[in-house]
Amino acid sequence: MNIQLCNRQFSPLQRRTMQLFGANLALTAFLSLTSRDLAKDMQPGAFLIYFTALLPAVPVIGIVATVGRYLARETDDYIRMLVVQSLLWGLGITFVVDTYLGGLFAHPQIFRLIPILNIDLFCVSVGVAVRIQLRRAQ
Amino acid sequence: MKNRLRVLRAERGWSQADLADRLEVSRQSVNAIETGRFDPSLPLAFKLARLFTTAIEQIFTDEA
Repeated sequence: MNIQLCNRQFSPLQRRTMQLFGANLALTAFLSLTSRDLAKDMQPGAFLIYFTALLPAVPVIGIVATVGRYLARETDDYIRMLVVQSLLWGLGITFVVDTYLGGLFAHPQIFRLIPILNIDLFCVSVGVAVRIQLRRAQ
Repeated sequence: MKNRLRVLRAERGWSQADLADRLEVSRQSVNAIETGRFDPSLPLAFKLARLFTTAIEQIFTDEA
């Protein structure tokens, strides 16, 4: 059974999960940027603003479902534990960065940044955490 | 929890990868169990016992 993520020997489940994960992530980024552009010229309070703002959330549900599907089907307890730990690291990093940037955004004269997509930050954090965890597990 | 996995594996001349293949888990799992960083689930413990044709207690011992 190939579950050695470090050596890029993925199981079919892992390969499928990464494909779904990547597709949902790209869709989230695309819809976030598109919905912002679409909402730019709309009147405040228009129903479409609420609708377009909701669009990027759809692939987020897809990401959650993908992770849930993986955790439910992964038969290797140890790898599943590493992935769960990585998810917690991802959550922690996202919350910390969010809180920090939230504080800085309160002072636009000090700091100005394009709002970061939380889900992207979360996914990148989880990816890095998985890599570190698996390297430690060698 | 202590275990004799490394000894049992060595007696049979298996590598960690060999044992991982037989258990249908990752090599990292075998390494983590051998080094005591991870306690296997009950089904995996039974699988190990069957594979080494011994009792679970002969593989794992409680440190307490």
